[in-house]
Amino acid sequence: MTTVLAVCVAVLVTVSIYLMLSRELKSVAMGVFVLGHGANLAIIAMSGSPVLPGGGLRNPPILGSSDLVDALPQALILTAIVINFAVMGFLLTLLIVTARRTGTLNVDELATLGRSNPGPEGDDR
Amino acid sequence: MTNDLLGLLVVIPLASAVVSVALIGHPTHQRVLGLASQLTMLALALTWLVRIRDGEVMVSQMGSWRAPFGITLVFDSLSGLLLCAGLIVAISCSIHSFSLIDPQIERRYFHPLVQLLLMGINQSFLTGDLFNLFVAFEIMLMASYGLLSIGHTRQQMAQAYKYLLLNLVGSTVFVITAGLVYGMTGTLNIADLARMVVERTEAGVPLPTGFTGLSVLLLIVFGLKGAFFPLWFWLPDTYHTFPISIAALFSGLLTKIGVYAVLRTFPLVFAAGEARDVILPLLAISAGFTMFLGVLGAVSQNQVRRILAIHVISQVGYMVFGLSLMTAASLAGALYYMVQHMVVKSSLFLCCGVMEQHAGTDDLDEIGGLARRHRWLATAFLVAALSLVGLPPLSGFFGKLVLIREGWSIHWWLSTLALATGALTLLSMLKIWTLSFWRTEPAPSGADRRPTVRVESLRGAHVGIGVLVATALFVGLAAEPIYDIAFHAGQQLTDPTAYIEAVDPLRIAAAVESSAAG
Repeated sequence: MTTVLAVCVAVLVTVSIYLMLSRELKSVAMGVFVLGHGANLAIIAMSGSPVLPGGGLRNPPILGSSDLVDALPQALILTAIVINFAVMGFLLTLLIVTARRTGTLNVDELATLGRSNPGPEGDDR
Repeated sequence: MTNDLLGLLVVIPLASAVVSVALIGHPTHQRVLGLASQLTMLALALTWLVRIRDGEVMVSQMGSWRAPFGITLVFDSLSGLLLCAGLIVAISCSIHSFSLIDPQIERRYFHPLVQLLLMGINQSFLTGDLFNLFVAFEIMLMASYGLLSIGHTRQQMAQAYKYLLLNLVGSTVFVITAGLVYGMTGTLNIADLARMVVERTEAGVPLPTGFTGLSVLLLIVFGLKGAFFPLWFWLPDTYHTFPISIAALFSGLLTKIGVYAVLRTFPLVFAAGEARDVILPLLAISAGFTMFLGVLGAVSQNQVRRILAIHVISQVGYMVFGLSLMTAASLAGALYYMVQHMVVKSSLFLCCGVMEQHAGTDDLDEIGGLARRHRWLATAFLVAALSLVGLPPLSGFFGKLVLIREGWSIHWWLSTLALATGALTLLSMLKIWTLSFWRTEPAPSGADRRPTVRVESLRGAHVGIGVLVATALFVGLAAEPIYDIAFHAGQQLTDPTAYIEAVDPLRIAAAVESSAAG
């Protein structure tokens, strides 16, 4: 099971890095989105097998020994998903505002804008 | 020592942010509310700091869940000093913003966002739990994204995405690392982790395989937030586009959170065992480059805002220098340096805001003659600039003195580099001083677009600068009591016994013990 998860994480991270290397901010945003999923899967994979080396289950510490498995990794992921969701919402909004203000979502064009725009503070050289 | 009121430092800004949203459309009410909440927090933090001046550790277990089940808040010498300095900076920047922020920006969400930013910062300083640290980072970053894009000018928008994307990737790596730490050790509580490290070192049991990898990952995450050497590229591009009061607030607080996180977790946990041999050289190399390249960048710039922004990086280098030595005294030095840098750097940014008001620009080719017309501004700027450089008896001197003396026996080349950086800092600060204050005003090209400024409208800005420069002088002239507290912090970081005993995590970690035995 862990091997399958590890392969999934690898695929997700590869795809996201490919997307993030793009010059278009839309693709970059998608890349970040995919990376978030990769991270969550990585936590599941890394939180280890619920079966300990000795043979017992990895129990939730508060309940002591029982038939339940420690749910903390899932709780961590739940928190991370919520945060990731909020930040992605913000990122997409920011991209829309950026597109409206500057008329482009291309990284190179934004860079020239940032450098040559005669803003209130004057020019850079 | 238990103190269940510690949560107030997180609850007060949250509550005032919520109320502040309801007060949109009434900027005066929002101002009063924000200032009242900040002053209350400062009063609380100062009272507690006085109570723990002998090196005690205050702990609050949320909901009375014992560590490591619940969330632990810890107020020790390290977090106490930084909280107080951070709140003073926040108060001054808020007062400054009353007179210099564009009413269009202030009208709606500016005050709530500042309160939320403070909530995240306070929680980062207080929390004793690695995952909670991630959540605190996110709260702080979310507020900073809001402040970053508020008002959205074209230039701001063209830069904002960089900051956002980099921090997003950084946060993702942080989540992965937190998951890895839990998978490897079975706990996320920093005191619990520290105890595991201590017990394993004493018993001669090696740390879990891959522990060094975790340390390096965390170093990358915190280095990105703190603008350490290879990861500082985002900072100069973004900081100069902000409204000036926000730039001052960010430069004082945000990068320091990254340095604080390293200061909190690495000496206690992540620089132990084999990881130490990897982390310390990395930090040392990074410190050298951060200091020196940062200051070279500053010397090459010709706009006040850009010079100050790049200087943030160079100063972070000194803190990393203290971290890379990792002795009790050098950590104390790094902490003192952080405190003084927060105050001094923000006051320089605030001065820059007033200079722009008087001259209409921050381009050094076009301004001049400010010393004759604005004596107090000139004095305040000179004091702050020389504090940054480290001229005795001002605050930067004591920070650099301890760091360089400690570094001399371990990495003499870093100490030499730190001295050279100091000289170049002096050069770049004097460049601002001579060109904008000391010389006579250049030909009319700049003068005809100089706005007419009414003195009353700048009153808030002057108060803000006054408070910060006075604090900077206090930090310099009363270095001893602050260093007393900082040395307690340094000792607690190198010998975590007091910290572990105060938090007193329950032993669970069955996974750890069985895998340690097997």
